[in-house]
Amino acid sequence: MIKFLQKLQSPSSESPGAVWWAFIVIAAVILALLPQTLGLAQLLDLSVVLVLALLALSMSFLWGYIGILSFGQTAFFGAGGYVYAVAAMNFGTTTLPFFLGILLPMLLAAVLGYFMVYGKLSDIYFSVMTLVITLIMNKAMRATSGSQYVVGDVRLNGQNGIPGVPPLQVPWNPEITLFIDHVYYLAAALLILVYIGLRLLLTTPFGRVMIGIRENEQRIELLGYDARRYKLLAFILSGALAGLSGTMFAIWGNFVAPEMFGLDRAAEVIIWVIVGGKATLIGPIVGVGIIQYLTTWLGMQGVGQVTLVLGVILIVFVLAFKEGLVPTLGNLLLRLLGVRPGGQAEPGSDNEKGPDV
Amino acid sequence: MSDAADMPLIETRRLVKSFGGVHATDTVDFTLKKGELRCLIGPNGAGKSTFFKLLTGQIAPTSGKILFDGDDVTGLSSFEIARRGIGIKNQKPDVFDGLSARENLWLAAQFDTDKKTADQRVEKVVDELKLASFVHKLVGELAHGQRQWVEIGMVIARNPRLILLDEPSAGMDQEERIRTAELLKELNTNTTIVVVEHDMQFIKRIADIVTVFHRGKILREAPVDVVLRDPEVRNVYLGRTEVA
Repeated sequence: MIKFLQKLQSPSSESPGAVWWAFIVIAAVILALLPQTLGLAQLLDLSVVLVLALLALSMSFLWGYIGILSFGQTAFFGAGGYVYAVAAMNFGTTTLPFFLGILLPMLLAAVLGYFMVYGKLSDIYFSVMTLVITLIMNKAMRATSGSQYVVGDVRLNGQNGIPGVPPLQVPWNPEITLFIDHVYYLAAALLILVYIGLRLLLTTPFGRVMIGIRENEQRIELLGYDARRYKLLAFILSGALAGLSGTMFAIWGNFVAPEMFGLDRAAEVIIWVIVGGKATLIGPIVGVGIIQYLTTWLGMQGVGQVTLVLGVILIVFVLAFKEGLVPTLGNLLLRLLGVRPGGQAEPGSDNEKGPDV
Repeated sequence: MSDAADMPLIETRRLVKSFGGVHATDTVDFTLKKGELRCLIGPNGAGKSTFFKLLTGQIAPTSGKILFDGDDVTGLSSFEIARRGIGIKNQKPDVFDGLSARENLWLAAQFDTDKKTADQRVEKVVDELKLASFVHKLVGELAHGQRQWVEIGMVIARNPRLILLDEPSAGMDQEERIRTAELLKELNTNTTIVVVEHDMQFIKRIADIVTVFHRGKILREAPVDVVLRDPEVRNVYLGRTEVA
């Protein structure tokens, strides 16, 4: 348990232990049982949290693992949603559009990432460029209200967005479409799989080099690794994850709009990750849950300036809980257990043995 | 000695690096034969670390050439030069603070091999450098000397053909310095090594030939004892140092 808590401090390249796997099983069981106790409206709310958690993971993967802050995750998120919507409405089937919603944002990330990474943009310019890309895509989609902006049979509709996005069909039986609870189960399964996949990626040579780049890019290069190649691959993977999230968002809401690319959404992703803890994978998921719940709750209380409140929360976390909620709570628990946070277990304890690297 | 051994492993021709008009490295012609163990000395700011950074591609030269094993490597990236077989320990510990010592070593060892071989290399280095007592600790929490050992271990774990060590014994106690000197001599049996050092006892223990840098240029290149008696060298550098 102590090792598990220590791993909450930062991404670790150690193989996840039994406690971690037990945590996964418990989380999966809880997620599987929740629909039994929740109404459809609550299930709908929870589903979007799971879908947006995929977007948060795409950001924390890039920022927490390899140290690149990208504002462009919403560009790939929006692209995923629009690609699915347009393709599904044109093709009449949804399986291929589902995968296109992942593939095309991935290709977009590959092209943009290539020029930014191999163009040797510094970290800050990389962040600014991704922000600009998001803003351009938002602006471009808003400008498609004219009847000439048609892809196949689908009008893009400018800032009104595209309503009536088809629900996902069962691939082997297109007659059956996924209902609210099915979308929930799919989102939960995808989130768990992505979470496991990203965690296990850290134990691979690729994942370890990624952490190495975050820790000390110069040393990674001096060891013979081409850091740019790893950065590009990480950016492509995070683009695919954001695209998956956007696709699921379109399926969840049966609607896409330029807000998916918006600055508000781009800022929200950063708030989720900072609040939860960017150096962990579980933190951003927790961050999405808290912020989404808070946003809904504040709206129900009639608070008009929800964005302002979220801004204050961000400032508080940046100043007071720099590492985010999950690492901070992990630290607290470790102190209660008498272990120095981030340090090694006491000699002779069960946790003394280190990682099997 | 065979012809192959007489071949220069690394060579610079009229190498220059300027920063805003100041020549940190000034028309340096440097040659190192395969199998040599050379020490570079000179006062602070003499250009030794800049020279190392040029050799490893951390900075690009303003002019001149760098040849490694006969190939022109001028202007290549750090990773491309590292892949050709040059390993460096920088002046300040240049490690992955957020990872354990073992993970640091593993990252170095696994670059060009499979997991099993990388594991074996790591075990060998841990054993040779006696790192077992702190190999599971985060490097950021280690003492300066231990961090130096981890970085030296990272360099060795890659089996480079040329090892560049910038002040390897800094922050180490006397016993550790002796250990480091012995280690370098052992490594030198099959690896070419260049060491930047200030500790004359350490230098005398390991090197035959010393290259003296001063104001970005090579001032002298001669056996240790000759250099230590050279009035000009003593004037620019050793005048401030006790020479035994």
